[in-house]
Amino acid sequence: MEHARHVFRIALVLLVVITAIFLGRGFLVPRSYGTFGPYRADNVAEQMKIRPPAHAGAASCAPCHKAKSEAHDAGGHKAVSCEVCHAPLLRHVTNGTVSGKMPVDRSFTLCARCHRRIQGRPDKFPQVILEQHVTSKLEGAVCLDCHDPHSPKP
Amino acid sequence: MDHAPRPLASTRSPSPPPEAPAAGAATPADPGRRDFLGAAFTIAGGAVVLLAGLDAAASGETHVPPPGGDAYNWEEHRWAYVIDTSKCIGCGSCVRGCKAENDVPDGFVRTWVERYIVGPGGSYVDSPKGGLDGFPPVPTAFTPTKSFFVPKMCNHCKETPCVQVCPVGASYRTKDGVVLVDGKSCIGCGYCVQACPYGSRFLNPATHTAEKCTWCYHRITKGLKPACVEVCPTGTRAFGDMMREDDPVRQTIDHERVSILQAHLLTEPQCFYLHLDMEVR
Amino acid sequence: MPEITGYAFPNDIHVHWSLMIVMYPYITGFVAGAFIVSALFHVFGREEFRPVARLAMATSLCFMAVATLPLNLHLGHPERSWLVMVTPNLSSAMAGFGMLYSTYLLILVLEVWFVWRQQIIESARRSRGWKRTFYAMLALGTYDTSPEAIAIDHRAATILAAIGLPGACMLHGYVGFIFGAIKANPWWSSPLMPVIFLLSAAVSGIALLTILYQVVAKLNRRVIEGRTVAALARWLWFFLILTVTLELLEIIMLAYEKSESWHIISQLLTTRLEFSFITIQMVVGSLIPFILLGVVVLMDRYLHDRVRNTLCIASSILLLLQVFSMRWNIVIGGQLLSKSFRGLRSPYSPEIFGREGILVAIALLIMPFVLLWLFNRVLPIFGDDKPHAAGGHEPPPVTAPVAGVHAG
Ligand code: HEC
Ligand code: HEC
Ligand code: HEC
Ligand code: HEC
Repeated sequence: MEHARHVFRIALVLLVVITAIFLGRGFLVPRSYGTFGPYRADNVAEQMKIRPPAHAGAASCAPCHKAKSEAHDAGGHKAVSCEVCHAPLLRHVTNGTVSGKMPVDRSFTLCARCHRRIQGRPDKFPQVILEQHVTSKLEGAVCLDCHDPHSPKP
Repeated sequence: MDHAPRPLASTRSPSPPPEAPAAGAATPADPGRRDFLGAAFTIAGGAVVLLAGLDAAASGETHVPPPGGDAYNWEEHRWAYVIDTSKCIGCGSCVRGCKAENDVPDGFVRTWVERYIVGPGGSYVDSPKGGLDGFPPVPTAFTPTKSFFVPKMCNHCKETPCVQVCPVGASYRTKDGVVLVDGKSCIGCGYCVQACPYGSRFLNPATHTAEKCTWCYHRITKGLKPACVEVCPTGTRAFGDMMREDDPVRQTIDHERVSILQAHLLTEPQCFYLHLDMEVR
Repeated sequence: MPEITGYAFPNDIHVHWSLMIVMYPYITGFVAGAFIVSALFHVFGREEFRPVARLAMATSLCFMAVATLPLNLHLGHPERSWLVMVTPNLSSAMAGFGMLYSTYLLILVLEVWFVWRQQIIESARRSRGWKRTFYAMLALGTYDTSPEAIAIDHRAATILAAIGLPGACMLHGYVGFIFGAIKANPWWSSPLMPVIFLLSAAVSGIALLTILYQVVAKLNRRVIEGRTVAALARWLWFFLILTVTLELLEIIMLAYEKSESWHIISQLLTTRLEFSFITIQMVVGSLIPFILLGVVVLMDRYLHDRVRNTLCIASSILLLLQVFSMRWNIVIGGQLLSKSFRGLRSPYSPEIFGREGILVAIALLIMPFVLLWLFNRVLPIFGDDKPHAAGGHEPPPVTAPVAGVHAG
């Protein structure tokens, strides 16, 4: 064994390196890693509050837009949430006070997205061939001439 | 494995243990080989873990308070999703709603809508911008006999190929059945993007981390519905809790003939489809 | 914006794994391939490989040193790459890389140390000042060059090579596994993938050494050993045949089984990959070298040394191209087809500048050779290729060892 001294030395070096790596690793593991599985458990709570919910649902407009809401809920668009045609409540109201302007899209393309006759739509869904349904020029807010978006029955 | 779980460093008061019946009802019994193999892997994994000093990685029994605090206990929910393709009108409201809710970067989608136009002479599929602006009429070279829309999104698989391949544990599946990405741990290798058979993941060009549908985890843990369900005007999309006996989604999954996407890959998706056509992959 | 033919999932149109992920298996391929050559000598005792054995080992180490660079260059968050080692997800094929890589690196470094130990000691004895300290530290302070110690070195090197060979095979087979285990992608998902990667790694490693050996010998004004080149050619031919057979088999299986993905893969091969797969990988990169090497192997007796060496260099260059195009076709090709199985993306061309660009790729390829040159400066590669020569043709030590450093 006298001539294997260098083997023992390199083995020692190895041992030191490997121990250092494992000890060092202990300090680097993120705090909540592994609580529930091989992931950082703190992230679950972080994901819960990653951002405030933007959409607040169809009923959320009612307190401030009573008339519109009532008309809407009685009409053919009751299944279409206000936020679909406008925008998420968060863009408009934060903490109960108005903080931004709600977009209003008056263009016929808004209605066309849902009501234009194209391949793919179920037959029973009310849809129109735009060019036949609207005899005047197909532009701007034509649909609103005859339909109230909140209660579209002409 | 006999090593004690690491206590969570936070000082929340421990919540009462979850109700036993709820926990049992959710997991269908699947005895036999898979369980055995699972156990074998766990033991083998545990050995590696012990050897490597990775005690943290072992998922032992948890006596730790759930991460939601008192407001939300993730052991009391198991989320699932049902999509009735026969109702979809392809308006793209869900795609826009998702984008507005989650700041999805341009050119990427967390949920999208596909249109299938099918006839004896061929089939045509499209999804312009994922359906963000709806769909235009298209001329087809063949005579279509049926056409329909299919909304798609992350399937929140039970046997997730994406979580399996994440090298750093940045992707994981929560106890309430949602597959999430930890943006602070993700190294942006893109392996999960490659591994997802459904194309639901992407690398966010701004944050350089993987991103995907979270079923709006920030909403559902507050009792709200995911944004896409919230804005769907036709009831195509439905979201529910498999731990609630009377939940309509659970009723549908339990009693209707539902299908899943790419069933042969055995990823066990938790998005179920009604009236799915064979053309859909 | 990339153009789509057919229908691709909206998120599927991006090539996230770019040129750097092509470079990564290419470079690790050299690591494994070169190691296989050195193992042919160290483990299997093939004497004809003695002149390249050390060169092969040094090459393996130098490529190993840059192997992680392309990965880090590609990561969205390279500053977090240490997480792969600290919190590896045990079910991830990619997390295995950290462990495999470090284990193999360890073995390689150890083996290099044992093989070059004698030279380290001689250099320590010969030099003075900080250089001496450096070599003394490398020698770990023991200057034992007795025949018994040398014998131990040899045994250690053989054992390490024997462990390192499966290590090298695992390292590269595992790179193939990263792709082969993705069931979502029909162009990748195949149990043949690790085998193909490993065999083509051997091809690229032997091809590289065939060239490197002749170039280095020329530069050092040493004779190019005919039987070494011929032996390299034989093994190269063998591995080439295996690789290409498997590469073709995989595709033929898909076609013959009429698997659901064949429709899209056949389109991929004949439209998007027509040039890089059919022309480069199969014809220029496989068929031609197969013929050239066939000539060398079957008619070696009638060939002049110069002719044989030139033929070997020519086919090696083509094979380096073949292996690169194979990596390209797998990594990039797999991302051109959408998982919808209905659409293909327009061909991808890498950027020139930028983190994942062509210039960086070229730099990455040059770097190992610079390292090799440096390595040779510190630990001469051709210092000793006679067995047990124990410093035979080295000048005797100039100064006696200093007692303080000498621990023997
Ligand atoms: C806190 C009360 C409040 C709530 C809740 C609220 N609004 Fe408003 N909204 C207002 C007030 C006040 C105005 C008028 C001020 C203005 O024009 O900016 C307004 C204006 C509007 C306008 C007209 C903007 C214009 O340009 O004329 C629209 C459209 C609108 N709201 C839609 C909505 C919708 C849709 C919701 C539900 C998602 C909603 N609002 C919820 C208070 C509210
Ligand atoms: C089908 C799409 C659609 C839906 C659903 C919808 N709106 Fe509107 N909304 C419009 C359009 C289009 C206008 C512009 C009408 C006009 O200028 O005549 C408008 C205008 C308004 C205005 C502004 C009125 C004005 O004259 O400035 C308010 C307030 C409003 N909507 C509230 C609501 C509320 C509250 C709901 C839900 C109960 C709702 N909207 C649902 C399309 C919609
Ligand atoms: C987000 C999709 C969407 C948009 C945008 C939309 N609608 Fe509708 N619309 C619907 C749905 C859903 C129904 C209910 C269909 C049903 O009852 O089956 C409907 C019903 C109707 C009806 C039939 C009402 C009835 O009582 O039978 C008319 C008319 C109509 N919409 C007009 C419009 C007009 C005009 C616009 C543009 C201002 C518009 N819609 C925008 C989804 C939409
Ligand atoms: C000139 C007035 C007029 C204009 C402009 C108009 N509509 Fe109508 N729309 C009607 C009348 C009247 C009906 C009910 C009679 C019917 O069922 O055809 C109707 C019915 C509909 C229906 C229900 C069809 C069904 O099968 O139940 C839809 C959807 C519709 N319109 C959408 C639109 C859209 C979208 C626009 C804008 C591009 C538009 N309309 C513009 C007068 C109009």
